[in-house]
Amino acid sequence: MILLGHVFLLIALIAAGYASFTSFAGAQAFRSGKSTATVPSVVAAVLALTVVLVVLSAALLTQDFRFAYVAEYASGELPWHYALSALWVGQAGSLLLWTWLSGLVALAYLIHARHDAAAMRLRTTGVLMAYVCLLTAIMVFAADPTRASLTASAEGIGLSPLLLHPAMLIHPPIIFLGYAAWGVPCALALVALADPRGKADWLPRARAWTLLAWVVLGLGIILGGHWAYQELGWGGYWAWDPVENGSLIPWLTGTALVHCLMAWQYRGMLKRLTLGLAIATFTLCNLATFLTRSGMFSSLHAFSRSPVGWAFLATTMCLSIAGAGAIASRWAQFRPERAIGSLWSREALVVLASCGLVLLSCVTLVGTFMAPLSGLLGGHTVVVGPAYFNNVLTPIGLLLLCTSGATPLLRWGRAPSRRQVRLLAVSLCAGLAAALAAGLSGERNSVVLTVLGCAAFAASALGAAVWLDARRHGAPLPAAFAAVVRLRRPQYAGYVMHLGFASLAVGIAGSSLGTVRDVVTIRAGESLTWSGYTVQLAAIRSYDAGERLIGDIQLDIARNGRQVATLYPAQHFHRRQNEWTTEVAVHSTWLRDVYTILHGVTDGQRAELTLVINPLVRWIWVGGWIFLLAAGVRLWPAATASRAGRLARARPKFLKHTRPNVQRRLQYK
Amino acid sequence: MGTGRTLALGAGVIAVATAYWALSGAAATWQYYLTVDECMDQAARIVGSRLRIHGTVGPETLEIDRNQQLARFVLTGERECVQVICTGTLPDNLAEGMEVVVEGYLERRDLVRGHKVMTKCASKYAAQGRT
Repeated sequence: MILLGHVFLLIALIAAGYASFTSFAGAQAFRSGKSTATVPSVVAAVLALTVVLVVLSAALLTQDFRFAYVAEYASGELPWHYALSALWVGQAGSLLLWTWLSGLVALAYLIHARHDAAAMRLRTTGVLMAYVCLLTAIMVFAADPTRASLTASAEGIGLSPLLLHPAMLIHPPIIFLGYAAWGVPCALALVALADPRGKADWLPRARAWTLLAWVVLGLGIILGGHWAYQELGWGGYWAWDPVENGSLIPWLTGTALVHCLMAWQYRGMLKRLTLGLAIATFTLCNLATFLTRSGMFSSLHAFSRSPVGWAFLATTMCLSIAGAGAIASRWAQFRPERAIGSLWSREALVVLASCGLVLLSCVTLVGTFMAPLSGLLGGHTVVVGPAYFNNVLTPIGLLLLCTSGATPLLRWGRAPSRRQVRLLAVSLCAGLAAALAAGLSGERNSVVLTVLGCAAFAASALGAAVWLDARRHGAPLPAAFAAVVRLRRPQYAGYVMHLGFASLAVGIAGSSLGTVRDVVTIRAGESLTWSGYTVQLAAIRSYDAGERLIGDIQLDIARNGRQVATLYPAQHFHRRQNEWTTEVAVHSTWLRDVYTILHGVTDGQRAELTLVINPLVRWIWVGGWIFLLAAGVRLWPAATASRAGRLARARPKFLKHTRPNVQRRLQYK
Repeated sequence: MGTGRTLALGAGVIAVATAYWALSGAAATWQYYLTVDECMDQAARIVGSRLRIHGTVGPETLEIDRNQQLARFVLTGERECVQVICTGTLPDNLAEGMEVVVEGYLERRDLVRGHKVMTKCASKYAAQGRT
């Protein structure tokens, strides 16, 4: 099995290199009408990587401790799904997964772009496969996942108990898929820069892949936050840790890219910024990998010291230099085709929002690299705390919330119509009313009130935009709603994502600014009143659960005299790892989470615990679900031939009620 | 003033404001980041300063009182070591021989008073010597 893994890893390296070469050669050959060997070589590389992945997965599932990787991360006690998750826990395994996903992405792109211009498709595949080749080379020379163990062992070290959480089954693969998917917009941008004609035919393809990568990476980040919230037991979900920041920064630049691509496609603007962001986002994914794997940063996530990280730093620098050089050399070619139509047009807001997002990325990047930067510049190594990041996040977040809320009622290239202005005013009133209502119900924090107001503004602006479109349609309202939503599905999906962002902002603002936290001691049978809740310690228990020794307490939580939850915060002692873990217990509602952390029990009678009220946390996870659903709707393939025919036949029936100029507006996308 | 210029001015204002917020946040929260050896070398100068200190929990020095959320240990570097008393929520996997970063301040030359301990993440990429 080990030999099989070795051989196929080498085959993958050769096939990926050959695929890259044949792609570039094929792009030249297509000009003279010759065929290319790109598809078979890409398939061969992906199949070879699949074999290595299957070999390592089988070794993990069967506890084949002849593999050094299996001996380090597996154990006979792990359930099969956690044994499989060891694949992405270690350096070599996670690299293998990332490489495999990058290969799959290249193959998917090749299939997805089969009707695109051959030269663009092949060059883009060439860039993607060159990256797969690089990752495979790193594995072959520095982090071989199929390396044989030097010592024979009958049992492995196993996973840390903190990783035995469902979110960890999917969080790392989703992050890696996000990183892999960002490769496509970057490759397309590099190919576009290499094209002397500077055509914009890559934009529709880049938009689809950018959105996919953006949603996947965002989902991965939210899942990581959820794991931290449930498993790490400190009551929060984001610590501005360098590695967390490492994945957030490309997501921020990617958010700007999603919008700049639209500005280019619809208005021929922001071309250089778009190209720069496409390359920068993927470059920042490599920088995030450097953060995790270099050992340079002592973070919650990364303590490793390995040459692998430096290979990613070199990749980051090469991509930065190549991207900056290419944009500079084509500067004149990518000048904007049109000026900004109005200060109250969509493109103006895209410029402002992109400016805010890029600044936020820069601030986060500087904060993350503060230690090495200050060491280089000032002699003393210093780091900054969360307040540095939050100081910038709050105002920029509010700016983004306002711009995203207003978008549905603005137009490309022109100021809003009178009717849109009236509806904007109505939406603004709805936002003010929501903030006022929250203020009257006792909320005093100005940031929370502003965020709530902005979220209500965004929701009502979306509702107003749908209503306006339906009114323009002219058909009876229910039929008109259905028709405009169907006709403008991608656009509405984008607006719904803005609602997801509003939900995320509400959750972050509420949980960051309204948290109440206390350490308390309760005797068995006693109760205490805390933050409007009555907390009673009903029982203290300890029992043996095989590999674990469990000590937990039963807390009966009541509010206004009515029991609302029974929570069991616990401490687990894992015999194999000789390690304690804190298992928090959370009662979650739409308004607040009651979060309980058990620290210990004294004399079998007194429990020491931390009680936390985290307001509105659930809205963060809801925001993630909204992103996912809206992206699914947005990316769902356009009408098939048969459905398109049905739609075309149905269309006159709806549109016969509509004035001609409105018909044009409905179809302007 | 044209639309483009007005927008550029607005973007400039946002950039300046962002720089101001970032600098004020940095001024309020900066702290030294030092290894144990560096900390001991500069101890006379930085007593009382906020810091994050990076080292290894010394063997047979760790005492944890989880009820009080209190940990005492000796943090060792390559040449020097320093006593640490840390209060607050402690990481579950805090153990002797583990690399940690303690956030707090240097109370006196040989004592760090911490309020946060960060340990190696469970998830990631074997430390030196493990691979």
